Amino acid sequence: MIRWRLVAVLLGLVLVVTVGPTQSAPAVEITFTSNQFTPVEEAAWARNTLLARFTQETGIGVRFVTEAEGPYVDRLLAEARAGRGTIDVTGTLHGLFPELVAQNVIRDMASTQQQLVGRRDRTFYRDLVEVSKMGGIQAFVPWMQATYVIVAHRQAMRYFPAGRNPNLMTYEDLLEWGENIRQATGQRRLGFPAGPGGLYHRFLHGFAYPSFTGSQVKGFKSPEAVEMWRYLRRLWGVSHPSSFTYQSMHEPLLLGEVWVGWDHVARVTPALRERPNDFVAFPSPAGPKGRSFLVVVVGLAIPRTAPNPDAAARLIEYLTRPATQVLTLQGVGFFPVSPQAGNVVPTGGLRVIADAVNAQGDAPDARTALLPIGLGARTGEFAPIYSDAFRAIAIEGRRIEDVLAAQARRLEELFRAQNAPCAPPDPPIRPCRPD
Amino acid sequence: MAVAEIAPPRARRRAPLNWTPYLLVLPTMAYLGLFFVYPMVQAIGLSLTEPQTGTFTLSHFQRMSGDLYFRQAIRYSLLITALAVPLQVILALAIAMLVNTRFHGHSLLLYVAAIPLAISDLAAGLIWLSIFTERGYLNAFLGAAGLTAQPITFLTYEHPEWLVGAIVLTEVWRATAIVMIILVAGLQLIPKDYVETAQVFGAGRWQTLRHVLLPLLRPSLQTALIIRTILAFQLFGTVIILAGRLVPVLAGESYFWYTLYRSPNVASAYATLILALSAVITWAYLRLLRVKEAEVRA
Repeated sequence: MIRWRLVAVLLGLVLVVTVGPTQSAPAVEITFTSNQFTPVEEAAWARNTLLARFTQETGIGVRFVTEAEGPYVDRLLAEARAGRGTIDVTGTLHGLFPELVAQNVIRDMASTQQQLVGRRDRTFYRDLVEVSKMGGIQAFVPWMQATYVIVAHRQAMRYFPAGRNPNLMTYEDLLEWGENIRQATGQRRLGFPAGPGGLYHRFLHGFAYPSFTGSQVKGFKSPEAVEMWRYLRRLWGVSHPSSFTYQSMHEPLLLGEVWVGWDHVARVTPALRERPNDFVAFPSPAGPKGRSFLVVVVGLAIPRTAPNPDAAARLIEYLTRPATQVLTLQGVGFFPVSPQAGNVVPTGGLRVIADAVNAQGDAPDARTALLPIGLGARTGEFAPIYSDAFRAIAIEGRRIEDVLAAQARRLEELFRAQNAPCAPPDPPIRPCRPD
Repeated sequence: MAVAEIAPPRARRRAPLNWTPYLLVLPTMAYLGLFFVYPMVQAIGLSLTEPQTGTFTLSHFQRMSGDLYFRQAIRYSLLITALAVPLQVILALAIAMLVNTRFHGHSLLLYVAAIPLAISDLAAGLIWLSIFTERGYLNAFLGAAGLTAQPITFLTYEHPEWLVGAIVLTEVWRATAIVMIILVAGLQLIPKDYVETAQVFGAGRWQTLRHVLLPLLRPSLQTALIIRTILAFQLFGTVIILAGRLVPVLAGESYFWYTLYRSPNVASAYATLILALSAVITWAYLRLLRVKEAEVRA
């Protein structure tokens, strides 16, 4: 009796081990790497919803690998150098593509782009296709775009400066808002993602700097910049002191630890999806030199060493399809790259975010900033120059002029060594240098 | 038998080499060689060469030492180690002594005290973050008990000492268990006779501990201290969770230089520094706590 049971169990095991996977595993599996969707919730959504539907439709399995920028780029470079690879599709920020093009990692995507447009169900925003061309090739097919907005609890609105329009918010309004909350409740309820993995450095170089000085690099140590840092010190005084542990703002917003938070749209979306009626969203603030904001463009490319380029092209077709773009917007808050999907009005919490993003783009004083390109292997050193300045000035209380002079030398050395041009809104001088 | 003992010519002849011990350590050596020595040599190489040309350079160490976070990383790494390791040893010794009295239920205490062993540093950091954060358990408790009207922000850059305190507390909670296990094993190796003899000669509890148990525990203490100190220099997850980069530590900087600044060379310079520090400290422990043959045999 026992022996039979044992045999049955063993047989069962053999069946599970041998038959199970061969039945469920798709015939082809491709590898898709990215440095986007790194927060766990986003990665889970990408695997279980976005890519699962692709596998269902085509029978092609997708191994999705999301990593921090360092290991992500290193893997691509290593495969290119080895001349033999496992990555079929890769999706990343447009600012990283110049290095991939220079190192001959990726194919020219122009023919893929033409095939997609030839399907007649989609076009792409022209300016996005423009930025995808570099080094004589089209480096990527536009995939998603994003920006950063302010999300606030409805209860915080009663402390918003009287008589002011939150959709035309200035940096002074934001400070006053935080100050009002502090006076009324004794708590600092403004929040910024200044922790490890947070995107506060983007606030510094892509939002505050151009809004106060009209530039990211040229005006780095200008009198306007000194003024901006004085302002940031005061703003930090009404910001939640735990901001330096925040990776993304949706958690502190949901917990009520933060009432007014600034972050990447994808990183506040979970809060709005969970409690769409409790939050409102506004454009990033305006400074003396306008309302500057970063536009994040994410593109898809096929490495030269891709083992399954045809399956890779099918994945790119799926990901840029208008219906998938809408799905991506609803799922993780990244915005479409084609007008066919851009015209679809999202629902629920996403509607709140989309309205803020539109208000930001349509604002009369709007100014677009882009991530610098052309820093090559040293791209990663750019943003930390700003966050180091922030640490020295706001946390360690060092003299602003001294810190800016020291950090400006680093900026100058970086751009000179890579002979890289300034990024908008700075004029395209090469090499870019602080005045 | 006696014949064998007085047969020197045979003993002088070269015995055939016994390969068994070498074969037995071979897998360990291969493992260590592949996963420790090789990456170590590679890391030292990266830290000392120019990425493009491959020529020798000290520029990565210069960049490391010129970095805003460098001095603080050294200071905080040493400070956290100096605070956490003695606390862990004292606490572990106390628990180990208690377990070793074999009171009723001592094995339950042993198991409960060993639970944190199974928890990764990142998870331990998250547990203590959920206690110390503004909407955390500690504030909820203080509020419910009527001790505070407003939640207190414990984890703030305005009180770096609180941040260090939270990290040390988490480390003590998490890593005391491993020291305790080593010490319990060490205590169980000490024959009861020594303690009983000491008591016969009128030694009190304190004297027994000071003059009998601690000297005999020296090898175990040495092991525990070396392991704990080296691991304290690799401390990373708990710090990142509780204090972000406000309390920079060496292993964390190595990580940031690779993932954030994308400079494997400076990251390797940090790794080499950690390696050098660990080697010096291990050497110091081995010297200071050297077990003299005579002492153990006495």
